[in-house]
Amino acid sequence: MVSEKEIEEISKLMRIKIMDRHEYVDKVHEMINFFDVLDSAGAIEEDLDVRKVPISCLREDRHVAFDGVLIDELKHYKNGYVRAPRMN
Amino acid sequence: MSDLIKISALDYVKKVRSGETTATEFLYKTLDRIRDMEPKLHSYLLLNDDVISRAEEIDQRIKTGQKVGRCLGMPISLKDNLCVKNGRTTCASKMLENYVAPYDATVVARLRAEDAIFVGKTNMDEFAMGLTTEFSAFGASRNPWNVDYVPGGSSGGSAAATAAFECVASLGSDTGGSVRNPASFCSVVGYKPTYGLISRYGLVSYANSIEQVGPITRTVSDAAFILNMIAGKDENDDTTIDDGDVDYLEGIDDDGAVEGIRVGVIKEMMGQDTDPQVAAATRRAVSDLEQMGAICEEISMDMIMHSVAAYYVVTAAEAESNLARYDNLRYGYDLPMDGYELKAYVEEARGRFGPEVARRMIVGGFVSSSGHAGRYYLKALKVKSKLTREIGDVLTRHDILVAPTVPIMPFRIGEKSDDPVGLFMIDLNTVTANLTGRPSISVPYALSEEALPIGVQMISDVMQDKLLLRVARALEMRTSLPEVPL
Repeated sequence: MVSEKEIEEISKLMRIKIMDRHEYVDKVHEMINFFDVLDSAGAIEEDLDVRKVPISCLREDRHVAFDGVLIDELKHYKNGYVRAPRMN
Repeated sequence: MSDLIKISALDYVKKVRSGETTATEFLYKTLDRIRDMEPKLHSYLLLNDDVISRAEEIDQRIKTGQKVGRCLGMPISLKDNLCVKNGRTTCASKMLENYVAPYDATVVARLRAEDAIFVGKTNMDEFAMGLTTEFSAFGASRNPWNVDYVPGGSSGGSAAATAAFECVASLGSDTGGSVRNPASFCSVVGYKPTYGLISRYGLVSYANSIEQVGPITRTVSDAAFILNMIAGKDENDDTTIDDGDVDYLEGIDDDGAVEGIRVGVIKEMMGQDTDPQVAAATRRAVSDLEQMGAICEEISMDMIMHSVAAYYVVTAAEAESNLARYDNLRYGYDLPMDGYELKAYVEEARGRFGPEVARRMIVGGFVSSSGHAGRYYLKALKVKSKLTREIGDVLTRHDILVAPTVPIMPFRIGEKSDDPVGLFMIDLNTVTANLTGRPSISVPYALSEEALPIGVQMISDVMQDKLLLRVARALEMRTSLPEVPL
């Protein structure tokens, strides 16, 4: 069973503000409890299905310059710097 | 409404090529239709304002015998999570309300090269998280068969626009049924290809390991026609597959496509919670396949009952990882940063996520967090592996699997939006194809007593998309459905 405190702690770490308790905590609680059905799937011994890609199949690791004006799309870009809020 | 715009994509090509109509004439009629329908349906979030000049330019090339792409100016809409260079891509979220994409998605570039005309961006559940289109930050879309009902989702705008003749076809994305579910609810074709057959480059990520771009069309042949133009390897998406330039349209109308094929009807997808009208329509579809020479039998897949939980754990974890980039420094709305320190600023910015997205992000953070990942995320991945093994085994004995696309009928707007776990189970029949990478299609098959659409779903093995489309086309030809009432 998941506690409400744990959900609130995760929200805080993810920097998602919980305004309406019912909107978030209760429903998230309900969603996580639904996942308990996984316990009865009998899949504990199952090997994970991992996608393997040989190195030879990967594209060449080289720099490809973007031909657009991507940096101009940044909202807080000035004189070669991206402005960010102050950090404590 | 002009009868001209009711035609399929393939008929559009024939009529423009023969001179029976022009790209410009057809486009004007489509824009008239959009103007009439949008106040009722809200299928679109954004309409493109330079389409007429593009249609005129294509007509000029046709007239002077110059090279023209296979779409010949066909009006196509795009779900608003596909990037179009210099166009807004909002994902139906306040978070990306003013985001302008600096590049084209590969599917967009490929259709553009074939002279498709993108009439607009269609409405969706915010970041594709939902199955009703009610979770759009810009208001719900409505079902053209009854505007009091949801059109399905998350590609609900694309399905409603295609069904209501506001475009000839549309591209959506399907993470757990988001193309097939609205296609079923709106009586159009929705096709999710084999994972990797269509590039995801330029599709705003939700759950990368299982999502795919897919066409929503008025006929199965139209889906094959579009697939021919957008399928195949893309160096910008490492997960794409070289399909050897298969022609998916070739032989699609051949008689005998179904003769001798082995069909499995999935018992767990027609359980006691299935609406009786949906179950009856599916049984009739199976009977149709038998009459065409298919050998049908009921099959059982134990892991189906655990698939929805596995799906929501995997997608929430991937969504949480993908949405972490939304800190408002690189994307996002215009929030002044004066007076904020970084943590408070990011928290304020993320307050722009709608409630469903925020909930799923919290769930994703929880199930993948230290101390809980083993119980939820790892277990979900193991269920995914077991389900993949199970369907692989079933598909050694059967060519096609059949089930209802959605176990219930379309429902009224607002009827279920306050019950997230109740909504989860509506995905029961569609998530298996995503979790296992199999191709799947929803074919419009029947109308209920209340004149609401019912779709039938088919699944085939990996890279058996051509077989799937041929069998779907054969079933489609067995049924005749009325026109949308609007």
